[in-house]
Amino acid sequence: MNLKSYVDLYTLLQTDTSSKEERRAFGLSHILDKKRPVEQLLSWVESQQDRLKKPTLSETFSSYLYTVTFTLVVIGFVLGILSGIALLSYNGHEPVNVVYFMAMVIALPLFTMILTLLSMFKTKNAQSALVHISPSYWMEKILKLFSGKTLNHIDTLKINPLLANWIVIKRAQGIALFFSFGLLVSLLIVVATKDIAFAWSTTLQIVPKSFHSFINTVAFPWKDWVPTAVPSLELIEQSQYFRLGDKLNEEMIANASKLGEWWKFLTLSTLFYAIILRFLMFVITSFGLRYALKRSFLTLEGASTLLRDINEPIISTHATTAEKPFVSSTQNEIQTLCHLDASYDVLQGWSIPQDQLRVMSDSMQIISPNLFEVGGGNSLQEDSEIVSKSHGEVLLFVKAWEPPTMDLMDYLEELLQKADKVIIYPVGSANEGYRTESRFIDIWAKKLALFNHEKVCLLDTNSKVADA
Amino acid sequence: MRNHTHPKFAVVGHPNKGKSSIVSALALDDSVQISDTPGTTSKKRSFPLKVDGKILYELIDTPGFQRARRVLQWLEQHDVRADKKHEVVYAFINEHREDARFNDEIELLEPVMEGAGIIYVVDGSKPYGEEYEAEMEVLRWTGQPSMALINHIDESDYSQEWKRALGQYFKMIRTFNPMQTDLDQHISILESMAQLKEEWIAPVKASIKLFERYQEQKLDQSSQLITELITDALGHMEKLTLSDDEITDSQKEEIEINYKEKLRHFEVDVQKKIEEIWDHAHLQKEQSALTFEDLDLFSQEAASVFGLTRKELIITGVTSGAVTGAGIDLLFAGHTLLLGGAIGGLVGAAGAYFGFDELSDVKVLGQTLGKRTLVMGPMKNRNFPYILLGRALFYTSKTASRSHASRNVADFKMDSTFKEKWLDEGLRKSLEDCHKKFRSENEVQTKVLEEYTMLIKTILIKLIRGRST
Repeated sequence: MNLKSYVDLYTLLQTDTSSKEERRAFGLSHILDKKRPVEQLLSWVESQQDRLKKPTLSETFSSYLYTVTFTLVVIGFVLGILSGIALLSYNGHEPVNVVYFMAMVIALPLFTMILTLLSMFKTKNAQSALVHISPSYWMEKILKLFSGKTLNHIDTLKINPLLANWIVIKRAQGIALFFSFGLLVSLLIVVATKDIAFAWSTTLQIVPKSFHSFINTVAFPWKDWVPTAVPSLELIEQSQYFRLGDKLNEEMIANASKLGEWWKFLTLSTLFYAIILRFLMFVITSFGLRYALKRSFLTLEGASTLLRDINEPIISTHATTAEKPFVSSTQNEIQTLCHLDASYDVLQGWSIPQDQLRVMSDSMQIISPNLFEVGGGNSLQEDSEIVSKSHGEVLLFVKAWEPPTMDLMDYLEELLQKADKVIIYPVGSANEGYRTESRFIDIWAKKLALFNHEKVCLLDTNSKVADA
Repeated sequence: MRNHTHPKFAVVGHPNKGKSSIVSALALDDSVQISDTPGTTSKKRSFPLKVDGKILYELIDTPGFQRARRVLQWLEQHDVRADKKHEVVYAFINEHREDARFNDEIELLEPVMEGAGIIYVVDGSKPYGEEYEAEMEVLRWTGQPSMALINHIDESDYSQEWKRALGQYFKMIRTFNPMQTDLDQHISILESMAQLKEEWIAPVKASIKLFERYQEQKLDQSSQLITELITDALGHMEKLTLSDDEITDSQKEEIEINYKEKLRHFEVDVQKKIEEIWDHAHLQKEQSALTFEDLDLFSQEAASVFGLTRKELIITGVTSGAVTGAGIDLLFAGHTLLLGGAIGGLVGAAGAYFGFDELSDVKVLGQTLGKRTLVMGPMKNRNFPYILLGRALFYTSKTASRSHASRNVADFKMDSTFKEKWLDEGLRKSLEDCHKKFRSENEVQTKVLEEYTMLIKTILIKLIRGRST
């Protein structure tokens, strides 16, 4: 898990067109623990490397990040050396005030480390002032002005604010570390090449004893290990320097050889406060960056969907084949009647029992000498016998709600060989007073129009159309 | 021919009795052609329940019987023992395979003779008729396990006479209305289907479990999608590059139009995805339902139906602010004389009061770099997330509850009491805590997003299934 794989995942998710099936197929072929989603994402990134166009955004970004960091580190190191040399500049007339150097290698690192710790709690904030006051943030802004096309490529990358903040924080620690190295190197060079008289000086009313106690506290990490690197009270007394007077006091001159002893203390102060503690901060920020990276992996747009698609089984209930569109149209029109006659040669009921047929004809005041039930429970032979008895005008009652089947059409064909005219009358149920809904009539009309026989007509008592 | 590894169920019956509606509802497939015209289904069609490509069971939609008496007459011409009757049905299929007259019968009998259980569908809202007996007799000849399903297409009820008649042919009779089905009814039908054959019990029970998981997946996906919608909408920043030094009113107007349009787009996009999640990709809806033209996202009506009233908003602000303040009191062990809570409450209330109508600030960014950009967002209106969330919940619950057999144009009528169905005091407080985090420009923690998603899922379960988790 690193920034490169994060950017790769970002790029791949932006351009991913894979189907759910393909993602699930990956999940099935790469059995990984569901509880380790980052590993699953990394494995997916690995499998998709071919899709990344060279140079990849991650390569450009890594290279940019490396270049900027390297430049800033070099600048930091050089600044450290220059600062060290400036602080330790000694012309032989005045001793070097250790308080300045201590401020640079103890107070400043401690102050910036406290700021760093505070900024760590604000990393979620995209506009974190603590992160934005970091020198590395602004140095990068300045460096950006000098980058060309690379920047346009990187600008397409929308990095998570949490991750971006941790990158800045970690980089700041690196720069500060190298700045401190610079200070240490300059101290060692100056000490090795010059005979420097160190002294301490302050306007504040501090007696050597108090200063000694302060120095002892500062030197607590190493005073038991390297006691020679802790200035004695005597040295502190001897090296107190007062600016008043145009020449060094005599005691100082008498102990000139001892005044150089301060360098050990300054070296270990630099080593401990500016380098070791800073290195610890660097390690902590490395963990922080790793944590941010892990979280950023999971919060990348599309990552949770990808994980879900990889891990969740694909459940489908749909048809596997497409249905042929149903088209029902005909140019034919069925002849429609809207009035019942008083009598018919034959009354028939398709799947309507004879007694029910009798009740229906009575209620509709229709007279006919012949009433038959056809279809329904009849055998085909029984229907044929009824057909043989049929003649003239036949009124065929059908249940309006039952759709016309081919069984009825077969019967109709047989009946038309004997009858002169067949009037199909769709009726509703007895509970509905035999009234028919128009939607059922439409279905019958369509079917009979398809049947298209001149001797067949439909009776629709709801219809206002005049009899043909 | 009878060897297969998973249970199959052929849905058969008279034409136009709702076979396709039942299959559509049970298979959650809204692409099945359903119409009043008989013969809409002319070919059998399989609807397998698959998990990662493995079929657990298969539903088969078939055409209706057209010439049942003729088929029965052919079968009865062969006087055979009961154990040989199914062979006669095979013989009928083989002999009439090329006969166009029996196309529908062959289509429906073939899967049955390949081992599918029979689900015979009748319409219980219409009277029983003798013409059905030939069909049931033909099915009896197949010797396959069977059950009857009484569908209610209309409101009348003839189910008692149907049950008496069906009882002569089927051991199991169930009632099922594909237009008003819910998860419980769906599972109940699947359980009945499992009883048809002993060896089908285990696979169908496994299918039921999987089906429940499928529903969970849909709920999870919908909740996640709604969470994304809210976070995206609240955090969205619309940008407009400026060419001149002066910002004109038309530019301000333009950015506001674009900003609102983008938020509407977020909503429409999520609605589409919700339809896909709930297998309603063919959902026909009136344009007003899609864009909520009458109840536009930014209208006062939408605020009154879906959002909180100013009073509710102030109460939420007070509670949420007071909780933060109380945290400070706790930190100082009460030495603040509970001032933290009081101040927090006041600040929350003031924010809610002033944030009722306001949408977002319009700011100018990038002056120092010479490139000026007009920016609108993130959303400041305290009520907006409730309006958006209410609408998303409404749309999701309606889509999820819609039957897959329904082919009418969806008219999602909004009910002014909808808010009462899901929003209570406790939930409002929990939601406000999250909305506050979404509104800030900080990165929202995964934990907060998960909590919010879980809240939405709970609400959806309550709305869709009518019960709490």
